[in-house]
Amino acid sequence: MVIAQSHKQRSVLVNFENVGLSYDGVSETLRDVNMVIRDGDFRFLTGPSGAGKTSLMRMIYLAQKPSSGRLTLFGENINQLPRDQLPLMRRRIGVVFQEFRLLEHLTAFENIALPMRVQGVNQNEYAQDVTELLTWVGLGDRVNALPETLSGGEKQRVALARALVSKPDLILADEPTGNVDPIMGERIMRLLVELNRLGTAVIVATHDLTLVRRMKKNILRLKDGRLSLHGPLKDISPATRAEASSRAAGDERSALGA
Amino acid sequence: MPEAGAAGAPLMTVIAVISFLACLALAGFFFVRQAAQQWTSDLSGSITVQIVGDSPSVIDRDIAAAENVLRATSGVEEVRVYSLEQRRKLLEPWLGKGRVSDSLPVPGIIAVEVSPALRKDLSGLQMDLANRAPGARLDDHGVWNDSLSASAQTGQILAFGIFLLIMVAACAVIIYAARAGLAANKEIIDVLHLVGASDEFIAAEVQRRFFVLGLRGALMGLSLAIIVLLLSGWALQGLEPSGYFLPAIRNNSATMVWLLMVPLLICTVAAVSAKQTVMRSLSGRW
Repeated sequence: MVIAQSHKQRSVLVNFENVGLSYDGVSETLRDVNMVIRDGDFRFLTGPSGAGKTSLMRMIYLAQKPSSGRLTLFGENINQLPRDQLPLMRRRIGVVFQEFRLLEHLTAFENIALPMRVQGVNQNEYAQDVTELLTWVGLGDRVNALPETLSGGEKQRVALARALVSKPDLILADEPTGNVDPIMGERIMRLLVELNRLGTAVIVATHDLTLVRRMKKNILRLKDGRLSLHGPLKDISPATRAEASSRAAGDERSALGA
Repeated sequence: MPEAGAAGAPLMTVIAVISFLACLALAGFFFVRQAAQQWTSDLSGSITVQIVGDSPSVIDRDIAAAENVLRATSGVEEVRVYSLEQRRKLLEPWLGKGRVSDSLPVPGIIAVEVSPALRKDLSGLQMDLANRAPGARLDDHGVWNDSLSASAQTGQILAFGIFLLIMVAACAVIIYAARAGLAANKEIIDVLHLVGASDEFIAAEVQRRFFVLGLRGALMGLSLAIIVLLLSGWALQGLEPSGYFLPAIRNNSATMVWLLMVPLLICTVAAVSAKQTVMRSLSGRW
């Protein structure tokens, strides 16, 4: 079931070695996680709600420090990284969230440009990239729209463009299809796959097993705080499908309750 | 950073009030200083010689002798002998009109303007007067000057102390507002961190916002303070037309320049405290 792959030729972006995470110092959210993400990898991160998918993602985009073990990003042990180095590392990682997390007072263009602006890049250097990204995600006509005027799917595509503008080595998407309709969800997923084909490593945390099955990508599965790597889902039996959809419904409820 | 943060308009009002009070305290400081300077400089070139004696004839003799000494002394620029008529007039408020008997030994008064060099060392003159006019007493207004500058100094210290306290209050208000702003904008700050913003970038954004807010508020306070100062200067001028005791408010460009520094100081205080607050609270995170 667990597959071993040899990727010696591609550089290691993320390396978890026996990483554990505990928020209260007593109960462990994640235990003994071992995982390697290389340049060009595409991984789905699945698991029941509360299994620690978001916690795992938060550690990779440097919002959460591991409690134990060793996490290496781009060859740097992040536990030994001084605080002023964190922004440089975050700029190599693009993140997309279920709840979009756009800045409401900025237009679509300004939201996408934000990663460049915080780096002090001059607007005329990134303006064309931002416009091209807006076109690529199909929002070329919504340049000056404020987030409140955009639909969920449009917001998520703006968020995706924002994650891409600084040409990151790794894209993380935490339930990117959670707040968009199924057709738009599939479209966003296809954008992520296309991006991966162009060379960017992608990790997508999702409970949408229908999409996972359709994309035929390797799967990281979290259960009871432990992580395991699996090959693509081929087909699922009606029983598993029922289980998956009830699990998805449970996730939906907890997401709404949160 | 969005303009509508935790504080906006209320904070600007507070800064305007603080700036207004700071301007008044500073104006008070300069007012007291300049008033004291003016009083003492009016007096510093002048001394008074008083002549006392048992009878009017002795007094008159000593007045004449003292006048001769004074006119013969180099450095004496002007000698003005008060006539008996003038001296009686000076006594009127105490003794009443026309009731002074001719036999009353009214002390003689000679107002003298001296050069700064002579003013520094009056001992020679004092000795000459003692030899030639035994009833003469030289008054260099030292007691008046000393007590005047002591009370002026107290007033200045008080005004400046109040000014400093107001600045401390400004700092405290800004720090409080910056913290509240950070808490209210936590979501935005998380996103900024997420897209790779450094603490310095976030602090600079907050700093810029507080600088603008501080400048606007402080200019409002300054305008109000200038209006109040001009109005009160005008009102006091009406009360006291000679302008002798209340000299500082009118036409004082130096004070105005210092008052213009208050908004600059306040918005600098605002910017620096905001930046420090943000840097400190962000460095606590990971």
